[in-house]
Amino acid sequence: MSALSDLRAAADRPLDLSRWRKVPNLLIGIGAAGALLGLLLDRVQFGYSWLVAFMFFLSLTLGALFLVLVHHLFDAGWSVPIRRFCEHIASLLFPWMALAFIPIALLAPWLYGWMQVQDPHADHALHAKLPLFTKPGFYLVTLACFGIWWWLSHTLRRLSLAQDRDGAAHHTYAMRRVACLGIFLFAITLTLAAVLWMKGLMYEWFSTMYGVYYFAGSVWVTLGTVYLITMILKRNGTLEPVLHEHQFYFIGSLLFAFTVFYAYIHFSQYFIIWNANMPEETFWYVVREKGTWWYVGMVIIFGHFFLPFLALLRIDLKLTFAWMIPLCIWTWLMHYVDLAFNIHPYRHAAGYPFQWAWLDLACSALIGGLLIKQFLNKFGSHPPYPLKDPRLCEAMGHVHFHASAISGGEIDETDELADGPEVVGGGR
Amino acid sequence: MAEPAKPYGLLAEFETPADAMHAAERVRDAGFRRWDVFTPYPVHGMDKAMGLKNSVVGWFSFLGGVAGYTSGMLLIWWMNHYDYAIPVGGKPLFSPFSAFPPSYELTILFGAFGALFGMLFLNRLPRLHHPLLKHRRFALASHDRFFLVIETNDPKYRDTETRQLLESAGSRRIEMVED
Repeated sequence: MSALSDLRAAADRPLDLSRWRKVPNLLIGIGAAGALLGLLLDRVQFGYSWLVAFMFFLSLTLGALFLVLVHHLFDAGWSVPIRRFCEHIASLLFPWMALAFIPIALLAPWLYGWMQVQDPHADHALHAKLPLFTKPGFYLVTLACFGIWWWLSHTLRRLSLAQDRDGAAHHTYAMRRVACLGIFLFAITLTLAAVLWMKGLMYEWFSTMYGVYYFAGSVWVTLGTVYLITMILKRNGTLEPVLHEHQFYFIGSLLFAFTVFYAYIHFSQYFIIWNANMPEETFWYVVREKGTWWYVGMVIIFGHFFLPFLALLRIDLKLTFAWMIPLCIWTWLMHYVDLAFNIHPYRHAAGYPFQWAWLDLACSALIGGLLIKQFLNKFGSHPPYPLKDPRLCEAMGHVHFHASAISGGEIDETDELADGPEVVGGGR
Repeated sequence: MAEPAKPYGLLAEFETPADAMHAAERVRDAGFRRWDVFTPYPVHGMDKAMGLKNSVVGWFSFLGGVAGYTSGMLLIWWMNHYDYAIPVGGKPLFSPFSAFPPSYELTILFGAFGALFGMLFLNRLPRLHHPLLKHRRFALASHDRFFLVIETNDPKYRDTETRQLLESAGSRRIEMVED
């Protein structure tokens, strides 16, 4: 029991991050060496491993962009303190994620089977997907996606930083307008990206849920990461003055919601394909029930859904760092397994390629290290939260909430979390 | 000619819930097994005073749920994979994931059946008659009186001692109820 409470106390202690400063460079160094070795050993396998790593970090950057968009769309108050670092993560989409796409762009003709088909009109599955599944289509859509993400993420970040200086409300309105258009652009570009870069590996297959499926997993892993970052920034004191307990409760609740949402979407995709009895759809899952892919599927069902579902049910555990830290790290592992389940069976039908797991890891380390470095630069050169956001007081809990026709006074109740620890002076 | 009536149990009447509760505590401590308390409304703490444990009805529910899930899976497997295999759509003949929703629904259905029929079984319901219902004053149990009954076939039951126990517990009206 005392070991348990020691662990609990250790997870709440203030953090000294100076020991970790070398980590990004270390990741880049080791990752680059591994990725280079992989490239020399097997160029095509390097491409797929890089794709897994790229899609993983694309999930995080797009997920952060999504959180910023919904913050403005819902005119949210509670998420003001966590919005700034989400804006920074989203802005990594350009140029850094675009740069990370270059290996895929160069290797695409070897990675994507449809690019090797001589006569697309003779292949019905491909013919039906023209002109999207042509080389110009592929590269133009890729450019458009990165262009839109560039504009969206950088506009939102620029307006938010401008508000830090003058505190003018019109920036909030401008961001809201951008978000209204942005959520549509986001949905379309994310779907196109998931379809072209990941689903296109087995181009004969089609699933209208694929974009939502990638979206659900992306926001899920992003929420796990956002929880961790918020916790770190609370414990090292950066966000401490503007955070309130309900930020952790809400992020945990969203993580729970997306756990269920992901399971719902993935199960629906399977169920509809199973019941439709069409060989051109079923083959995608048949491949994934052979060899060790069967067990990977089991890991996804129990590890991506059941475990976090049960772990996140209780209110008080959503606020317990010692419980949430391993769970948030678990979301990274599960999202990687999910992406591997989507990408690797194309080349390794017999089962999960354990012999190449190190290359996945190396590519992830390289991209991850680069992104962390860029993120820390951005985070360090700007205020850690939107200083003059009109809703900042609300986020800190310094507002007298009253029930209105719109709110119903619900925010007020977060102080009375039945099992939550007491907050000194919180809430009202 | 009617047979002589068999005794069913000693029925003690109490005026207040406190009296009934204290009587229940004494009967519990005396080690009786076949006895019960009847009150016009739920009395908090009575389960503890009577020494009642958590109902075992949950186990019937659990077994019902397990039976439902298993029978759902077996049903679909047996029909689609074994008895009348339908090789269609390039699929394997059986998928536990596709069979999950109906199996899950059978889990809920059989779990509810387990709870309902388990409860009826444990309460020995339905039955057409109960000796207490013949007793004229027992109708007050749904009005303003509190009753405690000790059955005569309880191993600890003794005609005089049991009656004395109930008297000393504060009951001013103790009657033998016939079967």
